Amino acid sequence: MDTTLPQRFIELSINSLRQVHINPFQMSQTFQQETTPETSPTQLQLKRQPLPLTPRHQETIIAAVDTSTIKIGETSTGIIIAIRGATVWKQNRNYHYTRLGPFIFHITEENKNAVYNNIERAYFNVQYLNSHQSAPNLMQMPTRLASLLERWLQTMLAKTLSDGLILFDGSLTSGTIDTPVQRMREILTTARKNHNTVLAFSKATSLRANGYLITDLLPEREPPYLLETTGVRFKPPTVLLGDVYVARLNKANMAFRLDIDHEVPVEKRMEAVEKLVGNDVLQQSYPETLRLAHILCTFTANEVLAMQHFTTRKHGIQIINRPDMHRLLFGPFGKEGYA
Amino acid sequence: MKLYKKEGNIIQILSFPNENAEKGDYLMIEDADAAKALIVQVIDVQFAAVPGVLEELLRTLPDGGELIQGEDIDPLEIAPHITYIQDASLLICKIRATLENDMLSPSSSWLPSRSQSIIKKISVPSLMKLAKVDGKLPIILGGTKDSSLLTIDASALDGTLNIITGKKGCGKSHLSKLLMVSLVGYKATVVIFDLNGEYSSLGMTQDGKRNMYYDKIHALTPAQNFKVAIDQLHLNVVMGILVHALHLPGTSAREFKHIWKQLRDQGKLTLADLGEAIRNCNCNQHVRDALASRFHSLVNSGFFTDNKAESTMLEECLIKSKEAGGAIVVNLRNTGNIDRQIVVEYVLGKLVDSLQNWKLKAVFLFAEEAHLYLRETYWDDIVTRMRHFGIFTTFITNQPDTIQETIYRQADNIFLFNFTNEHDLDVVSRAARVDAETVRSIARDLPPHHCLTLGRVVRDFPMVARVRALDLKTMGETRLFFT
Repeated sequence: MDTTLPQRFIELSINSLRQVHINPFQMSQTFQQETTPETSPTQLQLKRQPLPLTPRHQETIIAAVDTSTIKIGETSTGIIIAIRGATVWKQNRNYHYTRLGPFIFHITEENKNAVYNNIERAYFNVQYLNSHQSAPNLMQMPTRLASLLERWLQTMLAKTLSDGLILFDGSLTSGTIDTPVQRMREILTTARKNHNTVLAFSKATSLRANGYLITDLLPEREPPYLLETTGVRFKPPTVLLGDVYVARLNKANMAFRLDIDHEVPVEKRMEAVEKLVGNDVLQQSYPETLRLAHILCTFTANEVLAMQHFTTRKHGIQIINRPDMHRLLFGPFGKEGYA
Repeated sequence: MKLYKKEGNIIQILSFPNENAEKGDYLMIEDADAAKALIVQVIDVQFAAVPGVLEELLRTLPDGGELIQGEDIDPLEIAPHITYIQDASLLICKIRATLENDMLSPSSSWLPSRSQSIIKKISVPSLMKLAKVDGKLPIILGGTKDSSLLTIDASALDGTLNIITGKKGCGKSHLSKLLMVSLVGYKATVVIFDLNGEYSSLGMTQDGKRNMYYDKIHALTPAQNFKVAIDQLHLNVVMGILVHALHLPGTSAREFKHIWKQLRDQGKLTLADLGEAIRNCNCNQHVRDALASRFHSLVNSGFFTDNKAESTMLEECLIKSKEAGGAIVVNLRNTGNIDRQIVVEYVLGKLVDSLQNWKLKAVFLFAEEAHLYLRETYWDDIVTRMRHFGIFTTFITNQPDTIQETIYRQADNIFLFNFTNEHDLDVVSRAARVDAETVRSIARDLPPHHCLTLGRVVRDFPMVARVRALDLKTMGETRLFFT
């Protein structure tokens, strides 16, 4: 297994923490687990005729990847963040996982480019033009770094797995700041070479057909089934590398946006989803493998405390409490998240 | 350890896994600026309410309930920190005293600094030294968790009412034997109501050799080597037996008194003459029948005799014990219920008599399962009147609810072994020198042979110790069928 990225993550993590020695450390007042927002498409239509699915119980490895990031505190010059990724696979009816991290970084205005570019160089040994142009701002760094780790884990799965299903958290939209088209294309190509099918599930979508969310327009039909969409076009430079479906995989009255690599033939796509239905546990119409990947990488409050303990003990960072300005100014009305 | 919260006289302390504080341990919360320290005892250990622990535990379980197999690549080694936080515990502590200028006071009215206080464990010997639990007559009860000895002073048992209680087979009798032989070692007079015949051989070692107490243990078995010549009995002792043990009504008691005095004046105080006098008594038929039935109970007990040579002089044993110390073991093992009460009435009457006349200075009375032979009115008598005469009682029972509440309220020392039953713990909690939380929390988790000592002997600093072994032939084991 190519371990270049984790090595670089560790090195940069430790180096960045060393720089924080002289800085007081401000406890983060809210622990927000970051998610990437979805861009809006145009001209989208949802076909009303469902594509019925017949579960296929033929033994198939199902693997899923997810990453998570959290801000664990602030310093006078930057932020301290943690990133973790998880890969879960179901084989012989058992779930297995590999968790990578947490990696803790001290990100400042001074080191953010160096950290990001170093990690990116370690990724494909190349830097994509668009990512280089758009140097992330400090607050975007957690998601950008998590995204890098996620793409690396996806690449590793695409390379190592064969004849399997690879589940992504999110869509196959690329050309965004943290997902260059070339990068996503390479992942999908590698997956196809190894006879894998990539299925990307979005927990929430903003795609609408005739003004309604596509996941709300479910026909009166016995699940499992897929609904096809047409006309999903994004404004450049955003490119969609998959076809968008609405997947209702069990009787729970819930459906998810499902992107399937558009280079995969239609029959293969259907077969892949049917194998997923036949092999994985589906909770609320969502694959258990992907749910576990998400759960395993998410940081709990206990872990945040532990990481704060680590940064204090191991790196001697003095913790200070900066007053919460919302609370200070507005008292009980000063809750964050209220307009 | 970090001071977290104080509510009333309960202090909560956050403790981390490497700090190893357990129930029963004593901690000192030292506030250097205030030049004072709080002495607290851990009465419960709980998990600290660390946020996110539930999620942490839940996420490793998929729907099937089996653990997910996996590998954690944790290059920065955060996992030990997670475990460290997750395993943090909250010590619920009871404030026992304040230490100021090397003096202990029961005050808990001040608050030590949360940020500046230093919390450290305090060993039993250090605490005992601070509390001045020392003296010239040490009794080593056993070993504490920190491998030190818990030593009490025999003089702290002097003039006190003690209770040894705990569930069956946890070592109550063993502790009472330890206390008993220790008191005898300090030349005290001890009387034991031995319900199961397990104290008679205390003069022997486990391998059957004589030990240092051999000449000081006087085992008396009623109707065998313990008989009383009828003419040596005082009328008030006989009346006590008839009224309290044999429930003789008042009218009949008056008639008996009359007969007894007549016979004594005539110098004919024998069993035969007493029987004859009752038969020929010129009184109501019912009274005569009542007297006759009681007389037959006395005769049938085998405890009374006309033969002076056959009688064992309890008084002589007591006087012998007065000089060099000794234990009079009244073996009630094969004695019936009524006969047991007769013997107990006699012994207690005799003790009161001897103490009243200053033939004895004081007696330590050990009463096992006293509800089986002690009449109801004696409970109050023992803790009030008899105590003033110099009878200092230790009750030993595995049924704490058989001892009256008034006894608990006045108990000076309680030696508490394991109890799991809530009701039993409730009963013991009524003792004045005990706080209910300590009893409930610590006693429930005591391992066998471990005793929670409360009260005067430990200057109100509850202590847990494993009762030390004795090289005595105890004979207290239960007879078994399969082994």
